[in-house]
Amino acid sequence: MLALLCSNFTGTGQSSPSLERRLKAVFLFNFTQFVQWPQNALPADQSPFVIGILGPNPFGVYLEEIISDEKVNGHPLTVHYYNQVEEMQACHILFVNIADIKKQEETIAALKNRNILTVSDSYDFLQKNGMIRLYTSENKIKIQINLEASKNAGMEISSKLLRLAEIFTSDKKD
Amino acid sequence: MLFKDIPIQKKLMRVILLISGIVLFVTCLTFFSYEFYTFRKATKEKLATIAKLISVNSTAALAFKDAENAEETLAALKAEAHIVAACLYDEDGKVFAFYPNSMSVGSFPVTPGLPGYRYSSSYLDGFEPVVQDTRQLGTLYMKSDLLAMNDRFRLYAIVVVFVISISFLLAYLLSKILQKSISGPILHLAETAKVVSEQKDYSVRATKNSNDELGRLTDAFNQMLGQIQEFNQNLEQKVLVRTVQLETVNKELEAFSYSISHDLRAPLRAIAGFTAMLQDKYINQMDDEAKRITSVITNNTLKMGNLIDDLLAFSRMSRKEIVKNSITTNNIVNDIISDLDNSSGKISWQIQQLPDTYADINTIRQVWINLLSNAIKYSVNSPKPHIHIGSYSKDSQVVFFVKDNGVGFDAKYSHKLFKVFQRLHSTGEFEGTGVGLAIVEKIISKHGGEVWVEAEKNVGATFYFSLPNNSI
Repeated sequence: MLALLCSNFTGTGQSSPSLERRLKAVFLFNFTQFVQWPQNALPADQSPFVIGILGPNPFGVYLEEIISDEKVNGHPLTVHYYNQVEEMQACHILFVNIADIKKQEETIAALKNRNILTVSDSYDFLQKNGMIRLYTSENKIKIQINLEASKNAGMEISSKLLRLAEIFTSDKKD
Repeated sequence: MLFKDIPIQKKLMRVILLISGIVLFVTCLTFFSYEFYTFRKATKEKLATIAKLISVNSTAALAFKDAENAEETLAALKAEAHIVAACLYDEDGKVFAFYPNSMSVGSFPVTPGLPGYRYSSSYLDGFEPVVQDTRQLGTLYMKSDLLAMNDRFRLYAIVVVFVISISFLLAYLLSKILQKSISGPILHLAETAKVVSEQKDYSVRATKNSNDELGRLTDAFNQMLGQIQEFNQNLEQKVLVRTVQLETVNKELEAFSYSISHDLRAPLRAIAGFTAMLQDKYINQMDDEAKRITSVITNNTLKMGNLIDDLLAFSRMSRKEIVKNSITTNNIVNDIISDLDNSSGKISWQIQQLPDTYADINTIRQVWINLLSNAIKYSVNSPKPHIHIGSYSKDSQVVFFVKDNGVGFDAKYSHKLFKVFQRLHSTGEFEGTGVGLAIVEKIISKHGGEVWVEAEKNVGATFYFSLPNNSI
């Protein structure tokens, strides 16, 4: 059992992130193994598999430590940090760490049709057409998935992951 | 009983049953071993398959640290009653989830071991890496009891015992029928041989049933019987011819000796008669010497008369047919002793209880008379004459003996004793013609018995005669 610390630690510096954040970083990496990207998003070459973080980086260097030396279908992993959607180039998983709801909505809209798996821990991320939301309940990190959104983006989420996750439907007011 | 001594039928049965038993046993053992090996292997593979299935379904739970989900997945093992325990280790080798709920973390291996499954005495367990793509997310531990396997092997054992019993019974019944084709002719031969040897019937023949070695054996056996029968007939023929010849010669000889004895009597009677006349009528004209001479003549004619009488008796005995009756031996012996013993109690008699016989009473009486009179004659002058009459059984004969403590004789002459006119003492010492024992020998040999003597000079003699048991 995992007893998680539900501290409101929001450090952005180089200090060690909380267990909760470290787990979220691991989850981000694990999504690479349970989600299938369309062929054109991952061409068969040595181009890197990019995990992007939009907004402040909550993971410190922890995420980079996790992904170092790891590969996804032969593609080396790399982490990119963005402040603006406009900065983004090739990206496969994007952790959206933007508090402003309006901005969040704009971001998601901008990323439409780009084969990017959007992940966030903000409350109504899925209502805004985000794909995966990480939230804490009963001292555990849980996964909520907007299946429609991921499908629209051409992403195929493994049934194994779906079994663990709560499926979000847009007409259901969470 | 040793194997080599048991009847051939049983021998064949045992050989057949032993062979089929061993073959059955080896076959069943082989099958059992094969089943044992394959079933163990299959059980292992089945556990590995289930473990793979569980491990594939546990990847996400391990990746996203969802212990509840992992336990749900493990709970599916309920469907496999023989899987008694299972647990998932996370990447760090710590127990992450386990099955069933009733167990505790402590009852599982502390750290995951090498992949693969191993049998121990009462269960099968092992580790399965949980891999997503190429990443190992954790390890699955599975433990299965061997009840299913043991149940299965028990079933196999029952089947094997059943199969062996049925097959053995079948083998027994079949061999009982089939061995007859071998043992039948042999037993028939043995039976025939037994009839031949017991009944001396060489005309029986064994029946030939087959053309194998046993058939040839039967042929050879029959041929030999034929030869024996032929030889036997020839032999009987020869014996018959010889017997007739012998009988003729014997009769001639007896007739000759009878007529000689008879014819000798007439001149002897004349000599005796005329000598008596001489003594009657001319006694006064004879001087003492003439008287002495005539008395010598008289004595010698008397002796010669006795000799001729004995000789006639002996030759009559030779021609006499034996007529058997039952004889109370002790009565005869007592009668004879009271007739013969004139010693007025000087002789001490020791008479045992003697067995009764079935023989010719007249001749056997003669045997006793001759032996007892001899015993009296040769012992009556001893200081303390003692005569012992007894009997004993020997082989299939009963032996009677008369033992005296008289003058006896040198044992080296005993072979002469039973011949006619053979005497070991002079007439001067003891009276007699030397025919008595020859008559005894003749009578006993006619009864199928034997006579013999043991003696020592001046100590005594023991005369024995035997009669076959069937004359008792």
